[in-house]
Amino acid sequence: MVPEKLKPPLGVSIFILFALILLSLQLMSSATQESSELSAMYSWLLLINALGSVVLLGLVGANIYALARNAKRREAGSRLTVRMVSLFVVLALAPAAIVFYFSMQFLHQGIDSWFNVEIDRAMEDALELSQASLDQRMRWHLRQTQQLTEKLLDVSTTVATLELENLREVSGASEMTLFSRQGRIIASSSINPGDILPSLPDEHIWMKLRQNGEYVALAPVTEDELMIQVIVTVKANEPQYLQVLYPVPVRIADLADSVEFAFVRYQEMNFLRNSLKLSFSLALSLVLLMSLLAAIWIAFVSIRNIIAPVKELVKGTQAVASGHYDQFVPVMAQDDLGFLVESFNEMTQRIARAHDETRLASVEVENQRAYLETILANLTAGVISFDTNYKIRTANQAAYRIFHIHVNHFVGRNLLELVEDYSELAEPLKSIQRLLEQADDIWQQRIAFLGSNGRQELLCRGTPLFSQEGRRVGAVVVFDDVTDLIQAQKNAAWSEVARRLAHEIKNPLTPIQLSAERLQHKLSGKLEASDAEMLQRSTRTIVQQVEAMKEMVDDFSEYAKPSKKQTFSIDLSSLVQEVLALYLAKSGVKFKFEHGAGRLLVKGDPVSLRQVLHNLIKNALEAIDNEGLVEISVHRVQKNNADFVEITLYDDGPGIKDEHLEKIFEPYVTTKAKGTGLGLAIVKKIIEEHGGAIWVDTTRRLPGAIEVSQSEGGRADKVGAGFIIQLPACNFD
Amino acid sequence: MLCCLFALPKTVVADEFGFAVKNAEMTLQGDHYVLNAEFDFALSMRAREALQNGIPLYWVMQVKVLQHRDLLWNKSLVERSIRYKIQYHALLNMYRVRNELTEQVTNFSTLTSALDEISSLHNFTVIAQSELDQTNRYLAAVQVKLDRDALPLPLRPIAFVNPQWYLSSPWFVWSLKN
Repeated sequence: MVPEKLKPPLGVSIFILFALILLSLQLMSSATQESSELSAMYSWLLLINALGSVVLLGLVGANIYALARNAKRREAGSRLTVRMVSLFVVLALAPAAIVFYFSMQFLHQGIDSWFNVEIDRAMEDALELSQASLDQRMRWHLRQTQQLTEKLLDVSTTVATLELENLREVSGASEMTLFSRQGRIIASSSINPGDILPSLPDEHIWMKLRQNGEYVALAPVTEDELMIQVIVTVKANEPQYLQVLYPVPVRIADLADSVEFAFVRYQEMNFLRNSLKLSFSLALSLVLLMSLLAAIWIAFVSIRNIIAPVKELVKGTQAVASGHYDQFVPVMAQDDLGFLVESFNEMTQRIARAHDETRLASVEVENQRAYLETILANLTAGVISFDTNYKIRTANQAAYRIFHIHVNHFVGRNLLELVEDYSELAEPLKSIQRLLEQADDIWQQRIAFLGSNGRQELLCRGTPLFSQEGRRVGAVVVFDDVTDLIQAQKNAAWSEVARRLAHEIKNPLTPIQLSAERLQHKLSGKLEASDAEMLQRSTRTIVQQVEAMKEMVDDFSEYAKPSKKQTFSIDLSSLVQEVLALYLAKSGVKFKFEHGAGRLLVKGDPVSLRQVLHNLIKNALEAIDNEGLVEISVHRVQKNNADFVEITLYDDGPGIKDEHLEKIFEPYVTTKAKGTGLGLAIVKKIIEEHGGAIWVDTTRRLPGAIEVSQSEGGRADKVGAGFIIQLPACNFD
Repeated sequence: MLCCLFALPKTVVADEFGFAVKNAEMTLQGDHYVLNAEFDFALSMRAREALQNGIPLYWVMQVKVLQHRDLLWNKSLVERSIRYKIQYHALLNMYRVRNELTEQVTNFSTLTSALDEISSLHNFTVIAQSELDQTNRYLAAVQVKLDRDALPLPLRPIAFVNPQWYLSSPWFVWSLKN
């Protein structure tokens, strides 16, 4: 800012420049006056002005170059500048050129008009007249002098001096000298007594004198005094020379001088005519050139100043157009352009403000969206949204947990396209697709299917989405895996049944048994043998059945009771080995046991877990009818970023029928002739109480079981059954 | 400057016109050095024409004594000049020469005799002997030049560009023995 302040205002600079140019031109003009003292500086002034012109030319050239470069680069405001400068130059140049042309014409004609043949001749005639007049006077003086010589014939030196004095006074001469033939002064007389030495003729005069015997000429004594010098021969015995100096009358001398001056001046002017024209043309051209160049340069500077705000505005507009809204164009003047600039600044400020607000709003929306997305991602319910064509738009993390498919990798695809890749999910996906296409309102449906973790049950709720105009824009499906919930409900119901059975059935059983025994005890003696036997049989049947019922109710209460009584860290592979050891003695059964490296620890109740293994092994043995292969393995697996210990148990028995698959873990579901149907239910209950899961593996069969023998009834035999148990592993040491 | 000073005078024969210093010498007269020099004046056609049309011409005879210095440029001790004016008088058909130093005016009926008059310079006192010492080397330089700035104004720009007006002689430099 400080240098800006120190810089003189442009107007002042231009004014000073103009003043300098004018002064220089004025000085040059003054110098052309002959009398001027500046005359001696004329050459320098001419040089200075020429240099000034060169400097101005350089400035203008530099400006034109810069402008051309800017115009080529299509810089802001350059085209307007070019147009304005061109207009100015044309406007300034045209009248200047016309004036210049006519000035030159007038100048040349004016100078030429000074000279013409008449004046030329008149001048020469005037000079000749003067010369003739003086010539006549000279001849007259010559004759007069010749007459005077007669009086000097053969006089002595002394007489001659006196005679000369006398003659001089008579003739009106200013000086009279008598020379000897050798040029020695014999006598002399002067009007000025002080002049001791008379003026002596030079060699040139002596030569002429010896040739002609006489000599007459005009002799300038001083610069403005003329004398007529006459020398004649005195024809005496000894020839002598008389030199007489006659003064030219002042009037005649002045006139002659005046004529000569005019003639010389005219001659000089005539000689200098062309130089004069050239000189004036040069001065005029220089003046015009300097003025024009200065004007063009100032035009450049002024136009640049005028264009500057426009340029800034264009730059600002370009910046705003490219998204930079924080533009501020400095207001340079309080004129129309200044008003425009102020309006522009106000506009950009408003745009910037609006832009900021929009940005803030979008950030807010984005935050909101991210927040919702986070919530959605962390929901336990799976959420999939669809567009108008039922193509997937978004899917959350829970959708993956439920379906075990990265649904969000299939954005833009139809659910039916997923079916091709994931055939095991064909049923639920098709159901959802069908419901989506059919439903016009909110719908809810339970969909059960057999997933990789066994049977799964989903509770799906679909909502079609509508735009504000009522157009259908897609749909959202929310689904929960309610398998565990339903299982829990079932378990609770069965527990309740068991509790009631224990309470309602077991209580009357003891009086029934006691009453029957009492009946037998009281009546056996009183009845006949046949009746007594019947009574005893009946009573035994009652007691046996009551015992059976008691056992059944006990089993129930066992099922209803919580199994995880005490918690220890158990190495599952050793536990399985311990349990298997009890069955190894069985002939006809081959046990194959595999386990992973290290200790496979879980937290749980060893008694309950042993029961689980016993139940499963017993089931397997029963299924294979104590003849075949049972394969057990214990491994560590990772699922959903958690460690599990997985126990798999396969047999090569007849397998589980599809219709039983869904309900095999429910109480009182059995395929065996004997059995309560509580074995697998208890197993499932224990496993679930330990935080684990059990399901029937339908994907893998034992190698021996692959060879499916198709019996006549079309029933699959020796398909083999497999169970998978997963228990949460505790931290390994 | 130095090379200009030591440049040999141009021979008049080679050019049709131009002034030249034919020879010059400085001699000790009493306790002063005096200059005796001879010049050659050959006027160009243009200059002669101008003179005959009444335009006075001025020329300056310049003499200077320089002290030679090895490392720096030569130091000028004294610089003297005589300015002459020559003008044609149409009325008397005479050439008038005026020595502006002595204000002495001489008239000549021909241009040649007028130029002859000024073409030799005798006993022109330049510098006192006391101003020069024995240890230094001294140079004397003489030049005769046409004073173009004294020409009439319209002629001056032309005189600067037309070689017809380039009449000045180069410097005639010689070593001064003291």
